[in-house]
Amino acid sequence: MAQTVVVTSGKGGVGKTTTSAAFASGLAQRGYRTVVIDFDVGLRNLDLVMGCERRVVYDFINVIHGEARLQQALIRDKMLENLYILPTSQTRDKDALTTDGVARVMEELQTQFDYIVCDSPAGIESGALRALYHADAAIVVTNPEVSSVRDSDRILGILAARSKRAEEGAEPIREHLLLTRYAPKRVQGGEMLSLDDVQELLRIPLLGVIPESEVILQASNQGIPAIHMQGTDVALAYKDVVARFLGEERPLRFVQPEKTGFFKRLFGG
Amino acid sequence: MNATPTKSTLRLSGGVFTLSILRLTHASAKTLQAELAAQGPALRLVQGAAIILDLTDIDPSLSLPFSEWLTILREAGCFPIGVRNVSDEQAEAAAALGLPHLRGSDAKAASAPPASNTAAGSVFSQPLRSGQRQYARGGDLVCLGAVNAGAEVLADGHVHVYGPLRGRALAGVQGDESARIFCQRLEAELVAIAGVYMTLDAEHPLWGKAAQVSLDGEHLHIIALEN
Ligand SMILES: Nc1ncnc2c1ncn2[C@@H]1O[C@H](COP(=O)(O)OP(=O)(O)OP(=O)(O)O)[C@@H](O)[C@H]1O
Ligand SMILES: [Mg+2]
Repeated sequence: MAQTVVVTSGKGGVGKTTTSAAFASGLAQRGYRTVVIDFDVGLRNLDLVMGCERRVVYDFINVIHGEARLQQALIRDKMLENLYILPTSQTRDKDALTTDGVARVMEELQTQFDYIVCDSPAGIESGALRALYHADAAIVVTNPEVSSVRDSDRILGILAARSKRAEEGAEPIREHLLLTRYAPKRVQGGEMLSLDDVQELLRIPLLGVIPESEVILQASNQGIPAIHMQGTDVALAYKDVVARFLGEERPLRFVQPEKTGFFKRLFGG
Repeated sequence: MNATPTKSTLRLSGGVFTLSILRLTHASAKTLQAELAAQGPALRLVQGAAIILDLTDIDPSLSLPFSEWLTILREAGCFPIGVRNVSDEQAEAAAALGLPHLRGSDAKAASAPPASNTAAGSVFSQPLRSGQRQYARGGDLVCLGAVNAGAEVLADGHVHVYGPLRGRALAGVQGDESARIFCQRLEAELVAIAGVYMTLDAEHPLWGKAAQVSLDGEHLHIIALEN
């Protein structure tokens, strides 16, 4: 049976799609058969970030409406052979995701994969609810700012009350905090909330911290998930995230401001 | 007859909503108006909200001032959208004003963690998160974890919060002036007792401290919880 992981946030633009792509790629690198699904109907960003937009013929919505078989809509990743993308439609609206339809597709995916990663749309409405409904675990993507933390809190409440697990009275969804776009210098300057602040407010286990980095933009422009950007901080940070998710211990990095130049270090800053 | 049927643009779908229920205990429009005026802040909770009028406590043979109620409630900022627990005659009068008769049952707040409810009150062991709201009817409300910013706890009796209190807490919401609020860490957005409320910020001398809130006449008193 597959494990279903939702990447969610409430607030928009915090890094869900970036994280879904990197995290799913990381699981596949570790040898797990993984599928990543775009639940953001109407926007369709995941295929761009995964660099497979030109190969989309059928999508999630077509499968739900019986216009295509699941196998026709699944796109194999260009870099990892055990990673598949289930893209969404850009022309339909959110109502095209029916509860029953999603349940049927999830059930079919269950038998074929080890991990199902769901890239949630922003907000707390139907689209986000559908994305989190089947989850066994949740990655709550949060930026170090008050509004993002508030929305994450809101989503945590919804995870605890509105998911399938909650409705059936099963074990609650495993909750993981992922702090993204973290700029230690700006935290030090008091412009951003610190990791401690965010943890104190949300009180769920920390999965990792992804630094703010231009590499993310370069990666998404090239259609390469950030975890493949060899030797960069963000790639290393996302690898740590995957390792921790799989139960391995990894010390936190990229949470201190970078050491400044040689001379500063020599003469003391 | 048109041979080519045009495609309908109407779409009907179902949805489940949580609504507030206002239970009226008397048939007089004047009393309602007076009570609304007296309730003040407690009623802010339903501002802009759709509400159902529950008439359980009202004699089913009475003819009711639905039209006046509607005016008063709308003026108070809420939107009655239906009635329940009414006699057939009352339902008919309500329906004539666009208030359908609803037969739903009270639901436990759908988006809130489970509570253990006993005669002594309600105990929540999960944190209450932004957007969640809990009401302990007829007793105390105890929250073992945090009440986060944007969450709201209400009780007819006392409110006790053993984690940080960062949201809103309202005790004695039915008017019990002896109700109090106790918290381990006072960082609340708002505290209220029997309708007397106060907003707080980090300037407050007891901010972040263990404190209790009580009502003395018109004023809220916040003092440190000694231990
Ligand atoms: N660690 C990071 N450093 C710098 N930029 C980042 C980082 N993570 C994400 N971004 C940028 O932030 C923007 C939003 O990212 P992304 O699309 O992943 O967010 P999202 O949460 O999926 O948004 P939406 O809510 O619209 O679906 C993108 O331009 C992305 O390049
Ligand atoms: Mg996205």
